[in-house]
Amino acid sequence: MAQAVQKLVAKVPTLIGAAVTYSKPRLATFWYYARVELVPPSPAEIPKAIEGATNIIKGFQSGRLGQTTVKDALRNGLVATEVLMWFYIGECIGKGGIIGYNV
Amino acid sequence: MAPPVAVSPLIKTARYSALIAGIIYGKRRYDTLKPIAAEERRIEEEEKKVREEQERIAKQLAEANEDTILK
Repeated sequence: MAQAVQKLVAKVPTLIGAAVTYSKPRLATFWYYARVELVPPSPAEIPKAIEGATNIIKGFQSGRLGQTTVKDALRNGLVATEVLMWFYIGECIGKGGIIGYNV
Repeated sequence: MAPPVAVSPLIKTARYSALIAGIIYGKRRYDTLKPIAAEERRIEEEEKKVREEQERIAKQLAEANEDTILK
Protein backbone atom coordinates (compact mmCIF):
# COMPACT_ATOMS: atom_id res chain seq x y z
CA MET A 1 0.00 0.00 0.00
CA ALA A 2 2.69 2.47 0.99
CA GLN A 3 4.82 1.44 -1.97
CA ALA A 4 1.92 2.01 -4.37
CA VAL A 5 1.39 5.46 -2.92
CA GLN A 6 5.11 6.19 -3.24
CA LYS A 7 5.14 5.11 -6.88
CA LEU A 8 2.11 7.30 -7.56
CA VAL A 9 3.73 10.29 -5.88
CA ALA A 10 6.87 9.74 -7.96
CA LYS A 11 4.78 9.81 -11.13
CA VAL A 12 3.11 13.13 -10.34
CA PRO A 13 5.86 15.38 -11.84
CA THR A 14 5.70 13.42 -15.11
CA LEU A 15 1.94 13.76 -15.15
CA ILE A 16 2.15 17.48 -14.53
CA GLY A 17 4.77 17.81 -17.28
CA ALA A 18 2.55 15.91 -19.70
CA ALA A 19 -0.45 18.06 -18.79
CA VAL A 20 1.56 21.25 -19.37
CA THR A 21 2.85 20.01 -22.75
CA TYR A 22 -0.68 19.09 -23.75
CA SER A 23 -2.29 22.32 -22.73
CA LYS A 24 0.36 24.81 -23.91
CA PRO A 25 -0.64 24.95 -27.61
CA ARG A 26 -4.32 24.93 -26.71
CA LEU A 27 -3.82 27.75 -24.26
CA ALA A 28 -1.92 29.60 -26.99
CA THR A 29 -4.86 29.26 -29.41
CA PHE A 30 -7.29 30.30 -26.72
CA TRP A 31 -5.18 33.34 -25.84
CA TYR A 32 -4.81 34.21 -29.54
CA TYR A 33 -8.57 34.48 -29.92
CA ALA A 34 -9.39 35.75 -26.46
CA ARG A 35 -7.01 38.69 -26.73
CA VAL A 36 -9.17 40.13 -29.51
CA GLU A 37 -12.63 38.73 -28.88
CA LEU A 38 -13.03 38.49 -25.13
CA VAL A 39 -11.51 41.76 -23.95
CA PRO A 40 -13.79 44.09 -22.03
CA PRO A 41 -14.89 47.17 -24.00
CA SER A 42 -12.55 50.12 -23.73
CA PRO A 43 -14.14 53.40 -22.56
CA ALA A 44 -14.06 54.66 -26.16
CA GLU A 45 -16.29 51.82 -27.28
CA ILE A 46 -19.09 52.43 -24.83
CA PRO A 47 -20.66 55.34 -26.81
CA LYS A 48 -20.60 53.08 -29.86
CA ALA A 49 -22.39 50.44 -27.88
CA ILE A 50 -25.07 52.92 -26.81
CA GLU A 51 -25.38 53.99 -30.44
CA GLY A 52 -25.81 50.39 -31.49
CA ALA A 53 -28.53 49.93 -28.90
CA THR A 54 -30.42 53.02 -30.09
CA ASN A 55 -30.08 51.74 -33.65
CA ILE A 56 -31.80 48.56 -32.67
CA ILE A 57 -34.59 50.44 -30.92
CA LYS A 58 -35.05 52.68 -33.95
CA GLY A 59 -35.09 49.68 -36.21
CA PHE A 60 -37.76 48.14 -34.03
CA GLN A 61 -39.86 51.29 -34.17
CA SER A 62 -39.53 51.71 -37.93
CA GLY A 63 -40.46 48.12 -38.54
CA ARG A 64 -37.11 47.31 -40.13
CA LEU A 65 -36.63 44.46 -37.70
CA GLY A 66 -39.54 42.67 -39.29
CA GLN A 67 -37.44 42.31 -42.44
CA THR A 68 -34.72 40.18 -40.87
CA THR A 69 -34.34 36.78 -42.42
CA VAL A 70 -34.91 33.69 -40.33
CA LYS A 71 -31.23 32.85 -40.57
CA ASP A 72 -30.24 36.25 -39.25
CA ALA A 73 -32.86 36.07 -36.54
CA LEU A 74 -31.58 32.69 -35.39
CA ARG A 75 -28.02 33.96 -35.35
CA ASN A 76 -28.98 37.02 -33.34
CA GLY A 77 -30.96 34.84 -30.97
CA LEU A 78 -27.90 32.67 -30.40
CA VAL A 79 -25.75 35.71 -29.67
CA ALA A 80 -28.38 37.06 -27.28
CA THR A 81 -28.51 33.71 -25.49
CA GLU A 82 -24.76 33.76 -25.08
CA VAL A 83 -24.90 37.24 -23.58
CA LEU A 84 -27.60 36.07 -21.16
CA MET A 85 -25.48 33.10 -20.10
CA TRP A 86 -22.75 35.48 -18.95
CA PHE A 87 -25.30 36.71 -16.38
CA TYR A 88 -25.59 33.21 -14.94
CA ILE A 89 -21.82 32.83 -14.84
CA GLY A 90 -21.68 36.10 -12.92
CA GLU A 91 -24.33 34.77 -10.54
CA CYS A 92 -22.24 31.64 -9.92
CA ILE A 93 -19.24 33.83 -9.12
CA GLY A 94 -21.30 36.03 -6.82
CA LYS A 95 -22.85 33.23 -4.87
CA GLY A 96 -19.60 31.32 -4.51
CA GLY A 97 -20.63 27.98 -5.95
CA ILE A 98 -21.82 26.32 -9.10
CA ILE A 99 -24.96 24.53 -8.00
CA GLY A 100 -27.18 26.26 -5.51
CA TYR A 101 -26.53 28.67 -2.72
CA ASN A 102 -24.45 27.29 0.14
CA VAL A 103 -26.34 28.94 2.97
CA MET B 1 -6.66 29.19 -38.15
CA ALA B 2 -9.32 31.73 -38.90
CA PRO B 3 -8.40 35.26 -37.83
CA PRO B 4 -10.13 36.47 -34.68
CA VAL B 5 -13.42 38.23 -35.27
CA ALA B 6 -13.85 41.88 -34.34
CA VAL B 7 -16.73 41.71 -31.89
CA SER B 8 -19.18 44.60 -32.00
CA PRO B 9 -18.89 46.97 -29.01
CA LEU B 10 -22.57 46.50 -28.21
CA ILE B 11 -22.06 42.79 -27.66
CA LYS B 12 -18.93 43.38 -25.62
CA THR B 13 -20.58 45.89 -23.31
CA ALA B 14 -23.66 43.70 -23.02
CA ARG B 15 -21.55 40.68 -22.06
CA TYR B 16 -19.53 42.38 -19.40
CA SER B 17 -22.44 44.31 -17.96
CA ALA B 18 -24.37 41.05 -17.77
CA LEU B 19 -21.41 39.48 -15.98
CA ILE B 20 -21.16 42.30 -13.44
CA ALA B 21 -24.93 42.35 -12.98
CA GLY B 22 -24.84 38.63 -12.36
CA ILE B 23 -22.10 38.93 -9.76
CA ILE B 24 -24.01 41.64 -7.93
CA TYR B 25 -27.26 39.68 -8.13
CA GLY B 26 -25.62 36.50 -6.87
CA LYS B 27 -23.96 38.26 -3.97
CA ARG B 28 -27.18 40.09 -2.99
CA ARG B 29 -29.31 36.97 -3.17
CA TYR B 30 -26.78 35.02 -1.13
CA ASP B 31 -26.77 37.71 1.53
CA THR B 32 -30.56 37.63 1.60
CA LEU B 33 -30.84 33.87 1.80
CA LYS B 34 -28.16 33.33 4.44
CA PRO B 35 -30.01 34.70 7.48
CA ILE B 36 -33.22 33.03 6.35
CA ALA B 37 -31.47 29.68 6.26
CA ALA B 38 -29.83 30.28 9.64
CA GLU B 39 -33.25 31.11 11.11
CA GLU B 40 -34.77 27.96 9.63
CA ARG B 41 -31.94 25.88 11.04
CA ARG B 42 -32.46 27.38 14.48
CA ILE B 43 -36.18 26.67 14.39
CA GLU B 44 -35.49 23.14 13.20
CA GLU B 45 -33.10 22.60 16.10
CA GLU B 46 -35.65 23.75 18.65
CA GLU B 47 -38.45 21.70 17.18
CA LYS B 48 -36.16 18.70 17.04
CA LYS B 49 -35.40 19.07 20.73
CA VAL B 50 -39.09 19.26 21.57
CA ARG B 51 -39.83 16.30 19.36
CA GLU B 52 -37.07 14.19 20.86
CA GLU B 53 -38.29 15.01 24.33
CA GLN B 54 -41.77 13.86 23.41
CA GLU B 55 -40.43 10.75 21.78
CA ARG B 56 -38.45 9.96 24.90
CA ILE B 57 -41.52 10.31 27.05
CA ALA B 58 -43.57 8.20 24.65
CA LYS B 59 -40.89 5.52 24.66
CA GLN B 60 -40.78 5.43 28.40
CA LEU B 61 -44.54 5.11 28.55
CA ALA B 62 -44.50 2.34 25.98
CA GLU B 63 -41.82 0.47 27.88
CA ALA B 64 -43.72 0.87 31.10
CA ASN B 65 -46.91 -0.37 29.53
CA GLU B 66 -45.49 -3.44 27.91
CA ASP B 67 -44.21 -5.05 31.09
CA THR B 68 -45.94 -8.33 31.15
CA ILE B 69 -45.17 -11.48 32.92
CA LEU B 70 -44.81 -13.27 29.62
CA LYS B 71 -41.29 -11.79 29.05
